[in-house]
Amino acid sequence: MAARPLLSSLRRQPAVLGLLAVLLLVLLSATGLRAVQAVAAEPVPIRVLMPAPLADAVAGPVARFNASNSGVAVEVIRGPLDTETISDLAISSLLLGEAPFDLLLVDVSWLPKYVAAGWFVPLERWFGPELLAAMEPGARLGNGLGEHLWRMPLTGDTGLLYWRTDLMPRPPRDTEELVAISRDLQRRGRVRWGYLWQGRQYEGLSCVMVEMLQAFGARWWNGSTARTELDSPEAVAAASWLDALLRDGVSPRAVANYAENDALQSFAAGEAAFLRNWPYAWREIEKGGGPVAGKVGVTPMVGAPGEQGGGTLGTWGLSLIKGSPHPEEAVAVIRWLTGPVVQRQLAIEQGYAPTWSQLYDDPDLQRRAPLLAVQRQALQHPQLRPPTPAYAQLSDLLARQVNGMLTGQAGPDQTMATAQRQSQQVLRSLAGSPTPAAPG
Amino acid sequence: MNKRGTTLLMLPALLLLAAVFLYPLLRYAWLSLHASSVLTGLVPVPNGGANWGRLLDDARFWTDAVQTLRFALVSVALELVGGLALALLLHRPLRGRGPLRALTLLPWALPTTVMALGWRWILNDPHGPLNAAIRSLGGSSYGFLSTPATTWFFVVLADVWKTMPFVALLLLAGLQTIPLDLEEALRLEGASRLQILRRLTLPLLVPYLSLALLFRLAQALGVFDLIQVLTGGGPAGSTESLALYAYLNAMRFLDFGYASTVMLATFLLLLVLLGGGWLLLRRAGLERTSGRPA
Repeated sequence: MAARPLLSSLRRQPAVLGLLAVLLLVLLSATGLRAVQAVAAEPVPIRVLMPAPLADAVAGPVARFNASNSGVAVEVIRGPLDTETISDLAISSLLLGEAPFDLLLVDVSWLPKYVAAGWFVPLERWFGPELLAAMEPGARLGNGLGEHLWRMPLTGDTGLLYWRTDLMPRPPRDTEELVAISRDLQRRGRVRWGYLWQGRQYEGLSCVMVEMLQAFGARWWNGSTARTELDSPEAVAAASWLDALLRDGVSPRAVANYAENDALQSFAAGEAAFLRNWPYAWREIEKGGGPVAGKVGVTPMVGAPGEQGGGTLGTWGLSLIKGSPHPEEAVAVIRWLTGPVVQRQLAIEQGYAPTWSQLYDDPDLQRRAPLLAVQRQALQHPQLRPPTPAYAQLSDLLARQVNGMLTGQAGPDQTMATAQRQSQQVLRSLAGSPTPAAPG
Repeated sequence: MNKRGTTLLMLPALLLLAAVFLYPLLRYAWLSLHASSVLTGLVPVPNGGANWGRLLDDARFWTDAVQTLRFALVSVALELVGGLALALLLHRPLRGRGPLRALTLLPWALPTTVMALGWRWILNDPHGPLNAAIRSLGGSSYGFLSTPATTWFFVVLADVWKTMPFVALLLLAGLQTIPLDLEEALRLEGASRLQILRRLTLPLLVPYLSLALLFRLAQALGVFDLIQVLTGGGPAGSTESLALYAYLNAMRFLDFGYASTVMLATFLLLLVLLGGGWLLLRRAGLERTSGRPA
């Protein structure tokens, strides 16, 4: 009904009609031009979704790659900074079927979930075992599941212990020394707090728990039974140690609201003797030029006396999305972005730990990335977060319980017992059987 | 037209309603008795009611339920009171009443996402204008969105700010149905303003008030976008709503069985609450009309 008056009024307006015709012509010729260009070897677009800091870190290498006329145009999509937010973003595209990216930079803790959902293409066709053998042992973890390789690692980061070289001659060897040094320095008024870490109710607290459980000889996840073991005496001891840090004033109560950056800022301002953080924090402290710049050492995470400590593995790597129209070109991008050239630059400019052993042996890089030796040491005993597709839920409820303990709502025994009971409930409701089968 | 003809003519509408409301509900009910997660390859597998057992022991669900209720009751109560005041004001013959009415509606016309982002910027610590104002007065910046109490306050404030105009609009329509001669008659008999409000305006507004109450309660109990954008449920989950929790279960945890359980439980809670509220209102209304001489 509405079309008729419109048309008749158009007929009475030759100027408008002419304008429309011109517009149509322009549109047609533009599409025609694009078709011609496509025939004349337009580079294949490969889109990569990354968290913003890593996207910025690889911006230089990506520009060089695009200028090299390889027939591939890499387009990096800058995702949100927060790990959970970027995963939400990726999942909402992937659930809809056609993801607007070919490659995804994947955190080690997401991999089992994404693999179980069937969103990735196995990579062993292109990347053989000899390639992984050239990497540090810790960097090889968390890339394969079942019989397949799902991810090529770009970084080999682990949680590290930062210490003040101006306050002590050498780093602590175990958790007891850490507390003893802290209390001594606090008593003598040299420093306000002993140890700063991440106690906020978020995934970062789960990373701290992974390290503490390892430090006290406990484990979160038993891969052979596919059960959690959070109520073991060792696990309760780990929680008690964190609880005591707050009660004894070695760590401030505010730690219960600290994420990585809060802890980092406070440590960089000279308020504490020790800090738990990722490798990037070192550059931040040195670049910031604050009161502790040049006075910070780094060491692998300590364990309780007689136990082997270990930092949480926090590696990022590239995975190929199922349904990518250009898998071969996308794999070429993976090969290049995870290669030694890019990793070398990331180590120098941002302090990210490389995965290739050859880079750790490079004397020039050792000089320009002073953390390299410690990072390699930390990669010998890294701790994996529970490699189950249910990790997000397990982490969520453990972080919730432990944060409750840190804010004084329950003691360590009750905290870990509740976390264990709820974990088993979640696994039962997720799997449909009392003892869920191991993934893969 | 006979009764069968009526039913026949209503059939398409009923079928549409069934497809849009009944089918998803039944689907949720069925899914809530199954595991459908990454551990089952997203294929539904019966899990013997484990989802419901988990729900009962899930402190997060019950905390969120209390938080959602508290948010809905407080913000809707404030919106009703504020909306009524606004409606009474806009009902009075004022100069420039037309533009004023349009202006009042502005917050309601803003998309919630945009409005929530705006509030987040206003409250930013330390760069937001509110903190800038505090600093210029000699104070120091305050993390409004990192303390549970202030965060909750501002979530309620943002919701009231946005939806009060909607309530005002509904009540204004109600006010315009009240015949002027009734008010005049009361005034001639010497009734004060307050008496007119209590004896005439409010009783005649009851249908509009209950309509606004039902609309707003249903919306506020399902609050999602405002909280997702303004606080993301934080700090420490203190502003998380049931809708946000259901969303996280589906989208972040890929746990569709439990997400359905949470949604269905939320729906049942809502049903009980709104049904109870409606019954209460009706009884109050009946008592009022029967208790007064005709």
